[in-house]
Amino acid sequence: MKMNRDQAWVQKKAQQEDGCFVSVGGLVNALEKPAQAAASVTPIKVAFARFVQLARRERKLYLEQFAAKVDIDLVELMNIEKDERYIPALRTVHQIAKFLKVPEQKLMALAGLLKAKDATFQTAALKFAARSESVEKLSEEEHAALEEYINFLCEP
Amino acid sequence: MREVIQLFDNAAKKLVDAELFDEVTVEHFLETQKKWRPIVKDAAQQLYRAGADVGSIPQHFHWDWTSKEADLRVLAFTFFGISCGGELQGLMKLATVGHVARHPEQKGKPIVYVDYLETAPWNIKVLTQAQGKNSRFGAVGSRLIEAAVRKSQEEGFKGRLALHSLPSSEPFYIETCGMTALERDPAKQNLVWCEFTPEQAETFLS
Amino acid sequence: MNSKKTMTLNLTDQEMRVLEELSAQKDLSKTAILRQALKLYQLVDLKLAEGGKLFFEDQKKEKAELMVL
Repeated sequence: MKMNRDQAWVQKKAQQEDGCFVSVGGLVNALEKPAQAAASVTPIKVAFARFVQLARRERKLYLEQFAAKVDIDLVELMNIEKDERYIPALRTVHQIAKFLKVPEQKLMALAGLLKAKDATFQTAALKFAARSESVEKLSEEEHAALEEYINFLCEP
Repeated sequence: MREVIQLFDNAAKKLVDAELFDEVTVEHFLETQKKWRPIVKDAAQQLYRAGADVGSIPQHFHWDWTSKEADLRVLAFTFFGISCGGELQGLMKLATVGHVARHPEQKGKPIVYVDYLETAPWNIKVLTQAQGKNSRFGAVGSRLIEAAVRKSQEEGFKGRLALHSLPSSEPFYIETCGMTALERDPAKQNLVWCEFTPEQAETFLS
Repeated sequence: MNSKKTMTLNLTDQEMRVLEELSAQKDLSKTAILRQALKLYQLVDLKLAEGGKLFFEDQKKEKAELMVL
């Protein structure tokens, strides 16, 4: 192939590369169905993010523990839980479905990878998103503040 | 193909002989799973626990080269490896079919596409520093990119090369190598498509 | 892996014309075009053997299956 034998060139490249990430390959599931462009937030997408997070917390697992047990990319898991616009790769959803023992097709629909066929699915997701939002967001302090404000609003 | 090349030994502070080869086998893939993967995962977890920026945590720590075993027999794909000191130091998979240039001056012309490229974790400073060590060999990634450019020339593609860059690698490919960043690609997780024109490839090689 | 073997290829006038046009369009030698064709053929063949299907999608996003090989 006649690769470069110029020592100065090799040293220069070594210096330039020092401290850099040079990996190529995208996120771990790049070979599978390509992720679509970031979608708008819908109740179904919110439900998926909440579902994964609550399922993890119910098992008392930190993010990296869950990612290791499920054999998925940690950064992708973080994106799933924190970015409601994020569309996960097929393999990731397959792995999560397997670990949580839920039907893969339904979880794919929740993740936005498949179209949800009936309205009851969407309604259930909306209900779950609404209920889980309230459970996740309110700390004790927030809860106290809300109660106080409700009392204020209800004052004659 | 086997060819002697030089890498930079960071401890000895001098150039050392290594080997570039294209006869990559499943044994090399197994070596990455056994020797690379545990170190990358461990370093990623340490960085994450230390509160490192998400962009600096390697996104390749769950890669599995063994899943590409079937591609070893496909003409459309070429693999290159670099070994030094009896150990695998870097691995790369190229596609020589199915991709065309997007650069306005090269639009539609055949191009070699870097599908996967990984250097051994002990050669990545960010990871070795997380474990309190120095990186071992320098220029591994650059030598693989050089091999990719020369493969492109051998195929008659005049050095045209493309890849989708991870966010943390954009400075290396765009500023250091001199590739043109053309567009964010929604078909590839919004990663930036970077490309060498024949002239840029020549500049990189010289 | 790099040892090469030579073969002689007889083409019709039309085949040669197409080969020359592609060579000019793609800025590749005729040999390079044929090597690309071989790689593509093998790749498609493998995918079809795995049960995959090859489609073309037109600008209206309508898919038509390509019956090949």
